[in-house]
Amino acid sequence: MRLKCPKFLCFKDKAESFSFILASISIIILFLIIVFVLNEGIPAFIELGFSNFLFGHRWSPYYGDFGAFPLLYGSILIVLGSLAISVPLGVFTAIFLAEYSPRWLSNILKPVIELLAAVPSIIYGFFGFMFLAPKIMEFLDVSMGKVALTASIILSMMTVPTIVSISSEVIASVPKEYRKASLALGATKWQTIKSMVLPAAKPGVIASLLLAFGRAIGETVAVLMVCGCVPQIPSPPWNYLEPVHTLTAAIALDMGEVSWGSLHYHVLFGLGAILLVITFIVNMIADFFIKKAPRGVQI
Amino acid sequence: MKTVKEKTVLFLLAFSAAILLLAFVAITLFIGVRGLSAINFRMITTSIRKGGIFEPIIGTLYLLAGTIAIATPLGLATAIYLAEYAPKGKINRIIVQALNNLAGVPSIIFGLFGYAFFCRFLGLGISLLSGWLTLTCMTLPIIVRGSQEALKMVPKDFRVAAEALGTPKWKTIKDIVLPTATPGLATSIILGISRVAGETAAILFTCSVFLTKSLPTSPLHPVMVLTYHLYTLLVASPGTSMDRAFAIALILLGLVILLNLLAYLIRMRYRRRWKW
Repeated sequence: MRLKCPKFLCFKDKAESFSFILASISIIILFLIIVFVLNEGIPAFIELGFSNFLFGHRWSPYYGDFGAFPLLYGSILIVLGSLAISVPLGVFTAIFLAEYSPRWLSNILKPVIELLAAVPSIIYGFFGFMFLAPKIMEFLDVSMGKVALTASIILSMMTVPTIVSISSEVIASVPKEYRKASLALGATKWQTIKSMVLPAAKPGVIASLLLAFGRAIGETVAVLMVCGCVPQIPSPPWNYLEPVHTLTAAIALDMGEVSWGSLHYHVLFGLGAILLVITFIVNMIADFFIKKAPRGVQI
Repeated sequence: MKTVKEKTVLFLLAFSAAILLLAFVAITLFIGVRGLSAINFRMITTSIRKGGIFEPIIGTLYLLAGTIAIATPLGLATAIYLAEYAPKGKINRIIVQALNNLAGVPSIIFGLFGYAFFCRFLGLGISLLSGWLTLTCMTLPIIVRGSQEALKMVPKDFRVAAEALGTPKWKTIKDIVLPTATPGLATSIILGISRVAGETAAILFTCSVFLTKSLPTSPLHPVMVLTYHLYTLLVASPGTSMDRAFAIALILLGLVILLNLLAYLIRMRYRRRWKW
């Protein structure tokens, strides 16, 4: 009896089977990342209790308090602040690029925005640490420059290219007929954009926002240098002029000092697991919106 | 006729674009001006123990070279499989999904994973090799995505013509598709290098240390890296030796801008030359 091989494993030649094996490595990597982060992180959830770990209000590892809530809150506070800056900035720039900007200006703006995305996060951190934080201290007259607001501003610079590039692609892919029909009816350019182009581009813009969220919440080095790293919930909770601490910064700062296999070690992987789950969920929702975007948009 | 509202809107939109431009100029100027006054030839070529930054520069190059040596064949093979052999199918969808998810994983998670898997589980320790492998995992999605785009740009007619002449598929790929796509492939690899050059979080606990006795002589030795050095200068000892910090920042920023410029130029040239 001959075993029937599954269709996708019937290779035409050696090159195909070879490239298939190498291609499947990416699946294995993803699988290993999930397994290892969960495997090292779950003991923390078991030992501390799920809700004690996730919603505990005190984070002071050296006294044995592993409440991740201040970190989670700090992460989300900073990211929402950064989106509040980068979404309008990014969407407006995308509209400008797609609808108004003359060619020569686009030829300058687009590479610059690409470069903003390429600047390493340590450079953003350095810039925030040396330049922005002192300026914030000076202008807002606060006692510390490294506060949630500083981190939000730095993060917004890092995420705005994501929003611009995806939004402008989506806006450009809205069918020309829509615009022409609207203009023919006597609408002005802005009226056309507002009532025809933007509604059609909305899913794509939402997707870009979510992707920016996913990227921002995982940002480590830049945030660590400017957020102040004080694990607290500011009072009042929306006070952006107080220092906070984040999931990523806690992992990066503490990981060098923990002993392998200790509770603290597992807790840090637990924080990693929380982060991984958040980014996966956010990216999944973003994926859903991308599929609803106008034709031919590939992210 | 342009109404006041139209003008306000245009102003608002242009203003947003101007802010982005300004942000970039501010960063480059701030680091450029102070970096240029801090950097000098002696600093680059003297050892770290005499106040230079020689070892981290060479260490960064080691890290880049190894990562690219591993990630390029892997990424190219994946892209070739996806673009040439399995353009539409279940397995293609799964691999693409895996790559998309990998691209969304934060770099600090790669660091945690690299430590738990390469350093501990495989017993490679804090070493250059662990760093190469961790960074390979991280750059793989970038290289694959770019290479896939480059392969897709090669016209279908080329492949059909080769096939009509009886050329085996792997030969078509090797002799026709890959050479045609070279500029695009190069671009994706350059962008991968640029990403690795500036990475900090993923190497924090996998391969880098603040001080070593000498340059690594084996892949199993730890290494000094520019990004990590800058990180430690700022986090552990802020205020001291800021000249060195500015010099490192300038080198990193300059390197990344140059690499991206190079990729951009290749892409522009390629677009003009290959117009079908």
